[in-house]
Amino acid sequence: MAGARTARVRPRLSPFMIGVRSDALVKMARFPSEEWTKLYAEKLNANKSYEDAGKNWEGAITFVVQKDSALDKDAFIYLDLYHGKCRDAKFSLTESDLPTPEYKYAGPYGNWRKLINKEIDPIQGLLTGKFKLQGSMMKIMRFTKAAKEMVNTTASVQTES
Amino acid sequence: MWFFRSPQVVFGDEALSYLSSLPIRRAAIITDRYLLGTELPERVRGALPEGAESLVVGDVSAEPPLSEMTAHLEKVRGFSPDWFVAVGGGSSIDTAKILFALHERPDLTVYDITPLVQLGLRTKSRLIAVPTTSGTGSECTWAAVLSEENEKRKHELASPEILPDYAILDPSLVVSLPPEQTRNTAADAIAHAVEAYGSTWHNPFSDAMAEKALELISENIEGVIRDPRGLGPRGQVHIGASMAGLSFSNSQIGLVHALGHSLGATFKLPHGKAVGLLLPYVVDFNYDACPERYDRLNMLIPPKYRGRRLSGSLRSLLGMMGVARTVRDAGVEEPAYASSMDALVTLASESTGMVTNPKDSGSEDLRNIFIKAFDGD
Ligand SMILES: [Fe+2]
Repeated sequence: MAGARTARVRPRLSPFMIGVRSDALVKMARFPSEEWTKLYAEKLNANKSYEDAGKNWEGAITFVVQKDSALDKDAFIYLDLYHGKCRDAKFSLTESDLPTPEYKYAGPYGNWRKLINKEIDPIQGLLTGKFKLQGSMMKIMRFTKAAKEMVNTTASVQTES
Repeated sequence: MWFFRSPQVVFGDEALSYLSSLPIRRAAIITDRYLLGTELPERVRGALPEGAESLVVGDVSAEPPLSEMTAHLEKVRGFSPDWFVAVGGGSSIDTAKILFALHERPDLTVYDITPLVQLGLRTKSRLIAVPTTSGTGSECTWAAVLSEENEKRKHELASPEILPDYAILDPSLVVSLPPEQTRNTAADAIAHAVEAYGSTWHNPFSDAMAEKALELISENIEGVIRDPRGLGPRGQVHIGASMAGLSFSNSQIGLVHALGHSLGATFKLPHGKAVGLLLPYVVDFNYDACPERYDRLNMLIPPKYRGRRLSGSLRSLLGMMGVARTVRDAGVEEPAYASSMDALVTLASESTGMVTNPKDSGSEDLRNIFIKAFDGD
């Protein structure tokens, strides 16, 4: 297993690998990680377009980053979203450590990278099966603009490649 | 990865007679109250294969509310159709899509009709759409709009599985369409083509449909208005409207429909009237996000209506058609409009059209377009 890890090119996930480069002017973080989650929540709270689009939204969502050839464990990013702000953001490798969200947006790590790089549209990603959504469709369909802003915000987090 | 989805399209003179070649044994004919009083339901019955039984569900109302579905569904379930034949405008076709889905899957509610789950339809029946208006494009789309009682809201239901199996475009079914509906539905079709072309999800298939749709409609609509019973221009506009439906069904609508659904639901304006009047304002707003695409569309509008910019050309074309130029012209009074502004903006911002519009927009942008559209520039 250890040998397989060193052979990988893409960053692997470890709960102990907090990806902030102290020498860099801009904070960078590995995706997915606790640090990335914090940076993301900061960026989301600074995003006026998200605040506008999500001003009537109440409900938590968990981003489920599923393991694939470049990520060896599932990872979970829990976001408590309320009236255009992110009140709480938690990262874990164990889903049961996190509160139960109203929604889950799940996809393999490789697709998440494409989403962050804006190579996949978040809703087209759902319609083509690259991502899965759990939760009431009726409510979330009214907030597609907020969802788009949430994805746009991932691109503004300086993410290590 | 993306898709191009389309029903089998049967078009031209006597297209309705194609029904007789389909293996229909029990047809549920879904139509509206107005058409029920015409000879059309009989014509459709007469076109069914010999020996086929039929049930007419003839009380679909305009922009139907959810509560109506329960009564329709009871009738349909008692009859057990093997084909649904929607005959009418968008309301009848959308109703048939919903009844078809719920007949197939009695365990579902309308809110389960989403593109994110496999519904597993077509185990008992199939769906045919026979439009009697040229505009909504519903015969070629996998969406259905449902009004919500007690709320000024419209639900945009969608699933690839509610796309009709067949769209039958018979021009003889639209020659008696009254002038106002002719105008409103054609304006809606033009809005579909323009929105699909500007959509952030546009693709070569949707582009081709949008371009040809705009060309067919803008070249022939004047002829239709001059001679409503002329089969030639009617047939071209009818095909153009379905192509416009295919264009937006395979890309997406944008702000015109986001704002139009909100305006229409709030002030009970017909859908085509609401989107037709808003279209040039949204095109002006969007222009700097997609100038080449809009310029290209502009070249497809006949020279007699063509201005320097697409919005100006659309104003000329829609003006010739008699479409209201402003919200005030559409009969909305200023105090009611002003007091509804926050609700209008909120409703519009909840539409999926917000995410595929070529230009990113927030609440203030929506408000500004609504304000501009009240009295014009
Ligand atoms: Fe429309």
